[in-house]
Amino acid sequence: MSIKYTIDGIEVIAEPSDTILSSAVRAGVDIPTLCFDKRTAIYGACGICLVEVEGVPKLLRACSARPQEGYVVRTDTDRVVRARKTALELLLSDHTGDCRGPCKLNCPAMTDCQKYVQEIKNGEFKKAVETIYEAFPIPASIGRVCPHPCEDACRRQLVEEPISIAFLKAFAADKVLAEDPYVIPVEPDTGKKVAIIGGGPAGLTAAYFLRQWGHAVTIFDQQPKMGGMLRYGIPEYRLPKAVLDQEISIIEKAGVVLKNNVKLGKDIQFDDIRNEYDAVLLAIGAWTSVPMRVPGEDLDGVEGGIYFLEKLGLGEKPLLGKNVAVCGGGNTAMDCCRTAVRLGAENVYVVYRRTRNEMPAADIEIEEAEEEGVTFKFLTNPAEIYADENGHVAGMKLQIMELGEPDASGRRRPVPVEGAIEDIKVDNVLMAIGQVAKCDGVDGIELTKKGTIVADDMTFRTNIDNVFAAGDVTNRGAGIAIEAIGEAQKAALCINNYLAGDEVRYKKPYFVEDEKTEADFEDREKQQREKMPGLSPEERRDNFNPIYFGFTEEQAKNEASRCLDCGCHDYYDCRLIDYANRYDVEPEKFPGEVHARPIIKVADPISHNPDKCVLCGLCYRTCDQVVGQTFIGLYNRGFSTIVNPMVPADKAATFCATCLKCVEVCPTGAMKSEIPVVRRVER
Amino acid sequence: MKLVVGEGSCGLAAGAGAVYDRLAALLNESNPTGAVLDITGCNGMCFLEPIVDLYDDEGTLHRYVKVTEKDADDIYAAVSANDLSSLDRLGITPDDAHFLEAQTRVALRDCGIINPENIDDYIARDGYKAIEKILKTGMTQDDVIEQIDISGLRGRGGAGFSTAFKWRAAKNSEGDEKYLICNADEGDPGAFMDRAVIEGDPHNLIEGMLIGAYAIGASTAIVYVRAEYPLAIVRLEKAIKDATARGYLGDNILGSDFSCVLRIKAGAGAFVCGEETALIESLEGKRGMPRLKPPFPAQSGYWFKPSNINNVETYANVPWIINNGGAAFAAMGTEQSKGTKVFALSGKIKRGGLVEIPMGTTLRDVIFDIGGGIRNDKEFKAVQLGGPSGGCVPKEKLDTVIDYAELGKTGAIMGSGGMVVMDESTCMVSMAKFFLDFTAKESCGKCVHCRLGTKRMLEVLDRIVKGQGEEGDIEKLEELCYAIKDGALCGLGQTAPNPVLTTIRYFRDEFEAHIKEQRCPAGECRDLITYSINKDKCVGCSACARQCPANAITGELKSPFEIDADLCVKCGNCITACRFGAVEVH
Amino acid sequence: MAEKTTVDLGLIAPVLEEYKDTPGSLIAILQKTQATYGYLPEEAIYHIAEVTGTAPATIYGVATFYAQFRLEPVGKHLIMLCQGTACHVNGAELISAAITDELGIDDGETTEDGLFSMEHVACLGCCSLSPVMMINGKTYSTLTPDKCRKVLREIAKEEGGADA
Repeated sequence: MSIKYTIDGIEVIAEPSDTILSSAVRAGVDIPTLCFDKRTAIYGACGICLVEVEGVPKLLRACSARPQEGYVVRTDTDRVVRARKTALELLLSDHTGDCRGPCKLNCPAMTDCQKYVQEIKNGEFKKAVETIYEAFPIPASIGRVCPHPCEDACRRQLVEEPISIAFLKAFAADKVLAEDPYVIPVEPDTGKKVAIIGGGPAGLTAAYFLRQWGHAVTIFDQQPKMGGMLRYGIPEYRLPKAVLDQEISIIEKAGVVLKNNVKLGKDIQFDDIRNEYDAVLLAIGAWTSVPMRVPGEDLDGVEGGIYFLEKLGLGEKPLLGKNVAVCGGGNTAMDCCRTAVRLGAENVYVVYRRTRNEMPAADIEIEEAEEEGVTFKFLTNPAEIYADENGHVAGMKLQIMELGEPDASGRRRPVPVEGAIEDIKVDNVLMAIGQVAKCDGVDGIELTKKGTIVADDMTFRTNIDNVFAAGDVTNRGAGIAIEAIGEAQKAALCINNYLAGDEVRYKKPYFVEDEKTEADFEDREKQQREKMPGLSPEERRDNFNPIYFGFTEEQAKNEASRCLDCGCHDYYDCRLIDYANRYDVEPEKFPGEVHARPIIKVADPISHNPDKCVLCGLCYRTCDQVVGQTFIGLYNRGFSTIVNPMVPADKAATFCATCLKCVEVCPTGAMKSEIPVVRRVER
Repeated sequence: MKLVVGEGSCGLAAGAGAVYDRLAALLNESNPTGAVLDITGCNGMCFLEPIVDLYDDEGTLHRYVKVTEKDADDIYAAVSANDLSSLDRLGITPDDAHFLEAQTRVALRDCGIINPENIDDYIARDGYKAIEKILKTGMTQDDVIEQIDISGLRGRGGAGFSTAFKWRAAKNSEGDEKYLICNADEGDPGAFMDRAVIEGDPHNLIEGMLIGAYAIGASTAIVYVRAEYPLAIVRLEKAIKDATARGYLGDNILGSDFSCVLRIKAGAGAFVCGEETALIESLEGKRGMPRLKPPFPAQSGYWFKPSNINNVETYANVPWIINNGGAAFAAMGTEQSKGTKVFALSGKIKRGGLVEIPMGTTLRDVIFDIGGGIRNDKEFKAVQLGGPSGGCVPKEKLDTVIDYAELGKTGAIMGSGGMVVMDESTCMVSMAKFFLDFTAKESCGKCVHCRLGTKRMLEVLDRIVKGQGEEGDIEKLEELCYAIKDGALCGLGQTAPNPVLTTIRYFRDEFEAHIKEQRCPAGECRDLITYSINKDKCVGCSACARQCPANAITGELKSPFEIDADLCVKCGNCITACRFGAVEVH
Repeated sequence: MAEKTTVDLGLIAPVLEEYKDTPGSLIAILQKTQATYGYLPEEAIYHIAEVTGTAPATIYGVATFYAQFRLEPVGKHLIMLCQGTACHVNGAELISAAITDELGIDDGETTEDGLFSMEHVACLGCCSLSPVMMINGKTYSTLTPDKCRKVLREIAKEEGGADA
């Protein structure tokens, strides 16, 4: 005789042999559980499947409780949610590991570096590129120019040096571009139209995602070609524009409409765009150099560094004298001074008020600039620029500085040394101490005091309903390309949600993160980072030829093989992290003793990481009840309980059939097999 | 004349063995009055052990207490001289005698009276009459269960479930084979009622189990005894052997169709095995991890056969109920809680030991009338009932009557009978931590809420007693408590928060003093107290300094000594060493 | 440290013979094995596994679940210090500290000379005589730190005398 009852108002029919869980599964109601699989006996360890039944004082475990006629089961009451959440929080309080590698977590675009590095290691270059395209569309370009925060976080540093992640990306992207370029899959048209103002890294990325999801996307840009700062801010020797062109053409092939030489407020009106398109993304970047506020900065021969680079990008040959000073210590300053060298300047100075240690530019940029003959004037600050009789720059007075107390950024503050002035003779001064946005033509948009657009950092919405903003133009200010890409990616998601009429907020998922020290990798053999082959300083000083040749395939595989493979292999199958995010856990809520136990070699190719284990018992119960082996079991009790075979590895073969069922049923990444296993549970 | 030495575990711990041996040796040498020497189990007056009961030729009982080996010589001399007058100094005082006189004994009716190793002693006190009555008068299984139902007997192990209901469920379960199990895994720290019954009256347990086995239709009965009770196991083994020899166990008991064997399984040290499904797992030789209910053991228990599990005290009441009728039992106690209950009274109490009183007696009567109040005339603070699953009842609730529901209302539980009395010098936070430490250590580790929840609670409590508590800790504890109650798999986990919840409920100010002021009001938490010497009381004898393991006490003879607080390890040696009460704790 | 020696597996042959075909006897087998060797030697565990056809994981699972079982040999004198409620209330913690201080061993540890091991045990059931400890079956009741030290010193003295 069947039993009728309801779960969250849905009518469920159960047989007498049914539990609440088994009948719910049939009715299509999802009740979360970590320890239940119908091939094994009911166990009831995890406490995640708790449900509340009206009139029953205790919460019931859905995996074991039998439904009764007329039961009113609720899975969404505060009490149920709290109990499940607490169970998850308790599990997470003693669960260590890395859901994702530190490389990925430190990438503003959350690119799955570990995955594509591993794919490169295995020679799966096309797959590697597909992996990168999950995060953004222009890998060959970004691989060349990115200051790679991923490498800053790379744990290989604890052995010797980080993995050369950015160059590996460029390698795979180049190879695939040359052999079999990526084709963006496009979903059916939604009938929605999105306008993107600005075709730089942010605009291109947002267009890529929104087009992929089936929206009609048009990019408007005031420059003759798309690419924004990548094209007009980064010199050819670092990023050959042919590479950028190829990558943009992939986006164009997907159906993104590119409209260049269109200036907002002049060629098109903001209000018209807003009315014509369902959503608008402002990604116009930050194209104005920050003034230095020193006497003489209006003189002939003084200009913004970014403007100087832009002219070059537009094909002009800026005229420079023999002596050039570049003010600033960032990547734009490096691009400026190295470009000046290439344009024939004999003496190029970088004027920077702190020391080399504090320079925000990438190390390799500084190094290469030095090799190319750039003179660094550290601890100097422009005090005055003075002119010759024609009103043209003739020289510059530099205030000598010294380092004082640390400032808010943690760097020691430069303070002037009283009366110490140096005089240098220069013909040109390039200002590269920072860039700001200049928002012309966006009437009605709320701006910050600095003139950037006010946009919510989780929804990317501006004060105008269908207008979003991302990248350098927003209140977060100018940054590196991958940061703009990261914003664009999330903004695209928010726009997509907005177009679907859903909640627009982006929410950063929760990940379990581990902390490692050098001691954790003591047993690793040292293997130095691959050297990127390229032009010598002499060969590159007088031209704009690309300075790097790129890795060879062998080098790339070698380099990729250094990867420590930090992030969890089972992230996508992990029910713990899935539920943790679903129940919005506070993982730090119950701090306390956390285990740190060695990985157990179960039997080749299986290993067990007890620190990721939730003691659901599925592995050992499956071994016992499904396979009939009882090779693994529980050891100790209480907080010290651990899953362990207790058979020395050399004898394991006699007990273990290596059927990999234990790995198959593991709800987290605790049981691991060197041979890929498809995770599977049966409800 | 007959001399009976109390040889329960506590009697032996206090030196009863030596007393017995001495008396035996002397009587063996010469026994002019033909005095008989015998042993008995624990009579419950642990605070007076070793105890020698002397029955004179008129059968009058003379009870001598705290008997030393040397006293044994005097007893022998008096017995030999047939003049007991010289033994008055050893005699029990009327006050102490009141401890026993104020009790009503059903489960413990033979304890301390009969020789537990002698089946005839048991038979002489109507032993095995109840099973005989059932088998000889043709009482059916239902008739037996009916009497138990009328008696209102509820499980004495803690939860207080109706015994008749469980028996009926097991009886009605389909099954070719059924098991009757006795839970003698008395793991509650502070309880020793079951041990006393097995050590003092093992046949009573056997008979109670036989009746239960008959009622549910089981032919195998098993006693699961905890490993820490070696003497109980020895006495029970002998009793089983004797009962089998007399035909009370085995095939066709007393010539009837009813056959039943009884086996002992020794536990191996796991508190959780007191939970019935974990106990079954353990009986099957596995890790004692609880099974999910349903199915209940009555449907699927030991080897997945219908099984009934009760604890020792529950079975110990059964022969009495059958002999006297369920109604006689139900005549004692309250509306919802019938009969008597045994408690193990201990802690800061004057007279500690086993107490059996009718349900409905107040806690005050047990503690102050029977137990004589607080030792050293300190202030009563709380009484802990039910051990790690129970709670602390404060002074204001002393008039609560012993009744499942009434005790439940205080946040404590009836429990299996542990009753630990605390005075002003007991820190309630430390007490809560003690129980959490116990449950965390004893957690089997199967379910998340218990394995990790009790561990995290313990860590919070540990911080608090060390003076490292934080604002919000009490709330965090409460949150964990409710989550664990809701989420834990078995009774151990679900009740583990009780000691914490009741101490927070009644002694929140003590928690707050630890957290906000880093102060332990009871002066117990070692990280929050300092030792010092009262200069006015110190005579400069150096006794304390000689006992100090850390050399923290210095001074010149005959002038006051001093304690260096930085060196002091707060071991308490100086306090016990000082005969003048000069060492003080702040 | 009490030494681990090669164990004579013949000693548990009768136990295995008696129980090997009775289901659910693992705990009893382990109890008798421990009674034989004083602990559960690794060789014995693998031997039991082989004879009874039980997986080593199962045997270790049981052996590490119950407090009674030990995988390491213990000292000649096993101090079982009661952790019952009554003992706690009456100062068991101070006794434990005194033992640690006197012998330099904590719960579960053995002195270097192999003379003493300390184990915190569940309630010994002598609540009215608390705090109590049991050394090799003998119960010492109503302890104070001082009294406890005296007991230990006495045992050590006897042992010293026997050695000399």
